[in-house]
Amino acid sequence: MRRLMPAVLLSLAIALLATACDRGPGAKGGGVASIKVVIADYSKDNTGPFWRSLSETYTKQTGVKVDLQVIDWNSIDQQVTTMIQNNQPPDVLNLNSFSSYAKDGLLHSAEDVLSAKTRDDFLAAFARGGEYQGKLYGFPILSSARAFFYNKSLFAKASIAAPPKTWDEFVKAAQRIKALGKDSIGYALPLGPEEAQAEWSIWMWNNGGDWKSGGQWAIDSEKNLQTLKFLADLANKHKVTQVNPGKTNRTDGAFQLFKDGKVGMVMGFSPLAKQLDAESKVDYGVTEMPTNTGAAVTLGVEDYLMAFKKKGNQEAVTKFLDLYYQPENITRWITAEGFLPVTRSGLDQMRSNPKLQPYLDALPNAKLVPTTDPAWDKVKLDVQQNIGLAVQPGGNPKQVLDQLQKNATAAGGR
Amino acid sequence: MVYPAARLVQASLSQYSVTGLYQGWVGPRNYARLLQQEALATVVMNTVVWVAVIVAVTLLISLALAQLLDKRFPGRRLVRWALIVPWAASLIMTSKLFVWIYDYYFGILNPLLQSLGVLAHPVDWLGDDSTVMGAMITVGVFVSLPFTSYVLLAGLQTIPVDVYEAARVDGASAWRTYRSVTLPLLRPALLVAAVLNIIYVFNSFPIVWTLNDRNPGFGHDTMITYMYKIAFKSSLRDVGLAAALGVVNVALILVAVVVYLRTVRWQEPEA
Repeated sequence: MRRLMPAVLLSLAIALLATACDRGPGAKGGGVASIKVVIADYSKDNTGPFWRSLSETYTKQTGVKVDLQVIDWNSIDQQVTTMIQNNQPPDVLNLNSFSSYAKDGLLHSAEDVLSAKTRDDFLAAFARGGEYQGKLYGFPILSSARAFFYNKSLFAKASIAAPPKTWDEFVKAAQRIKALGKDSIGYALPLGPEEAQAEWSIWMWNNGGDWKSGGQWAIDSEKNLQTLKFLADLANKHKVTQVNPGKTNRTDGAFQLFKDGKVGMVMGFSPLAKQLDAESKVDYGVTEMPTNTGAAVTLGVEDYLMAFKKKGNQEAVTKFLDLYYQPENITRWITAEGFLPVTRSGLDQMRSNPKLQPYLDALPNAKLVPTTDPAWDKVKLDVQQNIGLAVQPGGNPKQVLDQLQKNATAAGGR
Repeated sequence: MVYPAARLVQASLSQYSVTGLYQGWVGPRNYARLLQQEALATVVMNTVVWVAVIVAVTLLISLALAQLLDKRFPGRRLVRWALIVPWAASLIMTSKLFVWIYDYYFGILNPLLQSLGVLAHPVDWLGDDSTVMGAMITVGVFVSLPFTSYVLLAGLQTIPVDVYEAARVDGASAWRTYRSVTLPLLRPALLVAAVLNIIYVFNSFPIVWTLNDRNPGFGHDTMITYMYKIAFKSSLRDVGLAAALGVVNVALILVAVVVYLRTVRWQEPEA
């Protein structure tokens, strides 16, 4: 009778969740008998199986049991927060942010739990992306890079010879595709809450703007205002986007439309290519982002592994991380998920795959969002929740950016 | 039951960092901050509309449905079973199904209404600010109907046949019989259905969360989804503040139910 549950019980969701996570044995003497490993679910087919088999290998080698929890992206923030709130943090955690945890003093640094060989194997840009106050706390687990996807059939129909290199060419191409018919969408722009910060970063950087300037937040810069107005114009003046781009998410919105063949252009990444190949419905090409400055920039995304400081867990955690960072293990998993390497050895191995060429080529020019700033965790959520409002009819790009800037500056203060 | 409630109150009086790390006791500060939230007024209004409209519409439709199911007709068993389906299905699955029904590009609702001539142009039901709440309320009513209809049906079946016979002997019309005999005798069942629905609809999370997940800001949130966003999905990212709202929610629903029961008792006819 779940519908008859008293109001009180339902309203207590947060506190109930708090009590639901009472698992995992504590520390015993010098070592630990088991470690809790929390991994984000990148795909149903690959994530669980890989980490289960890695955990089994680990237990065989060390005798230490693994309490493995694979949690989907929608609820991982909530579940991890609850674990920490109840003083039951994981030993190893995989997430897309790390610096708040480092700031709270919860993490082992790389020197404590990674071998020198593993530390030296990280690609420099990704190692820098995991540093807080000069020390590595967010260990790169995998990466991805965005690339510009276009529908070759629609381009041919609209007689567009080549994918656009500049913003002007981009607008023209989008208009020509839009002119093909009322069901055609020039560009699918996802500025809904799911991943708006990623889409926004790419446009911002390709107009010469940035999140920060000289260590200070610079979200409300002239350049960024120009960029946001450009995006609003795509939606409301040129009308080349899908309906309500400020209220469209990436996975079930923009990507879905592109996979259905309705869309001329979209910013994608390698897992999208994998899905498109599997469905083989859309004939697509992958190229660099159109730029307004002459130098195309893309977004690199780095996710992290963190090791939480818990009594006596250092040795067990070190061995677990060491096992994951064995070149054959990390590369096997990254390849299976369709992502990109974070280590030199992985990069060398994956170069042989021609499908990954456009992304690997883009990696050197990829920029990362400022995850190294603990304020980012709040700034990201603020951008996700608000930037879409600026491209709605009657939206006010300046007001939105000013507010984001104000909140970002305030978040840095705490 | 007592432990989680105590934990919630305790959390609402504490300060936590973004990661969820306890940072100390702050007294009632979270409650004061809650009142300063710009979105609060909108969210409270949304919640009132959400609860009042769903409960009222659900009760009205359920009264008719219960009456229908009380009659003998061929296929009644089938209809009774069919009515259970939206109740038995998981709320998240039902919500996702409706996301696809409403979808601007892939949904079946727009083509259907256009072919019937109701709409001239497709509508972005879940993206257009003027239609989101209505679209969510429709789903809310849809999933509340089965339970409510069955409560009322059970109520109808407790009404003895002889009171209807008496009414017929007195020469009452069908409508008069319904108003003067059925409704008053159905009152206990109606009360139960209303109170349980108020509580259940107020606390409903999956429908609003799933149908509204593409919309930025807090423009279409109820107090339950707002609580979740404060804790995990907004730049506030504050478990303590969310707990304060959680306490307020519990208090509010208790007050609402008490006020409702008082009001209907005052209107009780002297009979």
